Amino acid sequence: MTAILSLEHISRSFPGVKALDDVSFEVEQGTIHALVGANGAGKSTLMKILSGALTPDAGRMVFAQAAYSPSSPNAAIRAGVLTIYQELNLLPTRTVIANINVGKEPNAFGFLDEKAEKERAAQVLARLDATGIPLEAPVGELKVSEKQIVEIAKALIGECKLLIMDEPTAALNDSEITALFKIIKDLKSQGVSILYVSHRLKEIFRLADVVTVLRDGKLVLTIPVSEVTSETLISTMTGRKIEGAFPEKNKSLGEEILRVEQLYSSKGFEGIEFSVRRGEVVAITGLAGSGKIELGKALIGDWPVHSGRVLLKGAPFKPSPSKAKAVHFGYMPEDRKKEGVLEELPVQRNISLPSLADLARLLGFILSNKERELAQREVDELDIKTPSLRQLVRNLSGGNQQKVSLAKWLATGSEILLLIEPTQGIDVGVKFEIYKLIQKLSAQGNAIILVSSEISEILGLAHRIVVLFNGQLQAVLDGDQTDEEEILRFTFGQTKEKEL
Amino acid sequence: MFSRAGIKPQKLIEIIGENGFIFIFILWVVVLSLTTDTFLKSQNIFTVLRQAAIVSIVAIGEMLVMLLGGMDVSLAALLGFSGIVAVSLMVKFDLSPLLAGLASVLVGGLIGFLNGVLVTKVKINSVIATLGMMYVLNGMALAYTQGKTIVGPQLDQIGFLSRGYLGPVPVPVLLMFIFYVVFYFVLNKTVFGAYIYAIGSNEKASWLAGIKVDGMKILAFSVAGLLAGAGGLLQASRQGSATSSMGNEFLFPILTAVILGGISLSGGKGKIQNTLIAAVFLMTITNGMVLLGISLYVQSIVSGVILIIALSLDRLRYRQR
Repeated sequence: MTAILSLEHISRSFPGVKALDDVSFEVEQGTIHALVGANGAGKSTLMKILSGALTPDAGRMVFAQAAYSPSSPNAAIRAGVLTIYQELNLLPTRTVIANINVGKEPNAFGFLDEKAEKERAAQVLARLDATGIPLEAPVGELKVSEKQIVEIAKALIGECKLLIMDEPTAALNDSEITALFKIIKDLKSQGVSILYVSHRLKEIFRLADVVTVLRDGKLVLTIPVSEVTSETLISTMTGRKIEGAFPEKNKSLGEEILRVEQLYSSKGFEGIEFSVRRGEVVAITGLAGSGKIELGKALIGDWPVHSGRVLLKGAPFKPSPSKAKAVHFGYMPEDRKKEGVLEELPVQRNISLPSLADLARLLGFILSNKERELAQREVDELDIKTPSLRQLVRNLSGGNQQKVSLAKWLATGSEILLLIEPTQGIDVGVKFEIYKLIQKLSAQGNAIILVSSEISEILGLAHRIVVLFNGQLQAVLDGDQTDEEEILRFTFGQTKEKEL
Repeated sequence: MFSRAGIKPQKLIEIIGENGFIFIFILWVVVLSLTTDTFLKSQNIFTVLRQAAIVSIVAIGEMLVMLLGGMDVSLAALLGFSGIVAVSLMVKFDLSPLLAGLASVLVGGLIGFLNGVLVTKVKINSVIATLGMMYVLNGMALAYTQGKTIVGPQLDQIGFLSRGYLGPVPVPVLLMFIFYVVFYFVLNKTVFGAYIYAIGSNEKASWLAGIKVDGMKILAFSVAGLLAGAGGLLQASRQGSATSSMGNEFLFPILTAVILGGISLSGGKGKIQNTLIAAVFLMTITNGMVLLGISLYVQSIVSGVILIIALSLDRLRYRQR
């Protein structure tokens, strides 16, 4: 067998992290090669390099016996490397035919050859054994599994030698997964090589020939699937050292302040139950698509909940940001720039915003001295680096913006804080400042809900850990009794050791 | 990193974008002062300000809506409708001027409230919702008046609103300044104003900060309606009558004043004092062209060109992001 793709010493850094560090492996012609790793292992970066969205800092690639260094996604496609992302790239209002042919429409002097378009779409769907998909239907009306087939068909219209698939089964049910796997295996028998990126170990054993494991940007293992167990895979994916020392967890927990009962959303999760005590840090974790972000957003009213309830200090709480504010429940969203701060407003107003009504006297006139004092207090308290209170937040660094996003809730005297991925995209120094802050806030009696995919930070901070898999509550673990391997096992949906 | 020495080009563009029309305004004033004898006479200045009064008062409401990133195109129609309400209550139902005036303002507020509900709760785009409202109001005005002018001696009682003087200052000009002073404080010093700017600058983040965004929007549309109602009363006083088309002439001046004044079409940015200056500028254009003896048809061309220049400056400013 010959290699269709070989990577030689590929490295790529981002400010503060080495996303890929000297990675080398080969994908054999006509095989299904799985790529696995925990969050942040470097899978996405590698995928982006292969698909031309990023360039490596060092190393070289050979594809189909020629040097390969795509300068853009288009160049990668022309070379025969097609990538299907988890977020499908389809035009929902256009027909299946139009979507399959998009960008490569057969035409004569710019006039579409509709007959040829239709034939080509029918042919490629027949090749995928998916003639049941209505050619004239708008793609938006198809099922997710059908959309995925349309996406694959689109890829096959061009000269596709290597198909990269990112978590293709994330939104599919079992029978759809079986059908998709049949298609992937058919493609393999037609000589197409496949790089299959997934979190799901079971699928790798059903589907892949070879598996490569990444951890912290480094290649740990490339091995034929037949020679490995899922236990080995999990232990090679973990084994990460905790960077730096976490502050000691708060020991004195108070009474229960928030309780979630049988929370269900048709768009994300079901059967969620947990509670949080004063002074406690409860982490919610899971893989991408596990429903952890959706659950976090639902607690503040930014995601629909269809049944179940949330109790706050014993009273039913119908989540909404304004009601949350009234009960001192603060929220630091994942998307800092779009949701956490108002970039065009000064630091002072960003911090005072939820407290303004309390800083005003008759007729709503804001007491500007009090506003300034409040903002200055939080800037000092959190050590926010800003030249002045008037500085626009967009001119601050990411870590300081994150602190502003949190400061506004501390200024209101919050008792519960919901933090979603609070250290994402933040450099290591500020990360540990935020960890210390979380510890300090819990020691002051705040209840903290920490939604995070960073296992080390969860282990270092949380008293209890809620693990989700596929929208289901998988386990509620004691933060001091568990370890990285156990958490990962639950995040991968493997409940018992035997199933491994 | 944050040195004060020297102005960056981006900053310069921002300053010109926000105030560029003021430079053009000053230029225009200088030209008129040099070429005509009458322009700088206090009588002419008061004439200009008197003409600007109604447009600039209603423009405050439009500005509130546009600071929130929306647009209300029904305000001129609402002005006309409220004017008809005030006049017919006085002429046909012999209501006192105070009650009739109050009613016309409240009708304006009520319809503004309805606009707000359509935009926030029914979630119709604000231009479309208010465009629909504009047709409804124009239609009702036509149906009610049957195209006839409503006029009666009772209207003399509200004549002072447009023709009266307090000392040397015409009443409408005084009203205009009072409204602007009040709303200057509302926008810059109160929680309401802070919320308006916050929502306009980032609606999602403001909502997540616990601000009741829908409520604030409904309030802004309602205030815009109230001000349009007040504008209708003033216009009824000025005309001494009510006609189905009495609001028509205001549609573009209101929008032009707000946009020319530098309120960003995407919301969140702009100063109320600039809206006032822009409204006065618009009236000065017309006034100056009359003084210079330029034909009515050409005047419209010039007004159009000015709007385009104002919009170009707006784009220039926000392209920098």
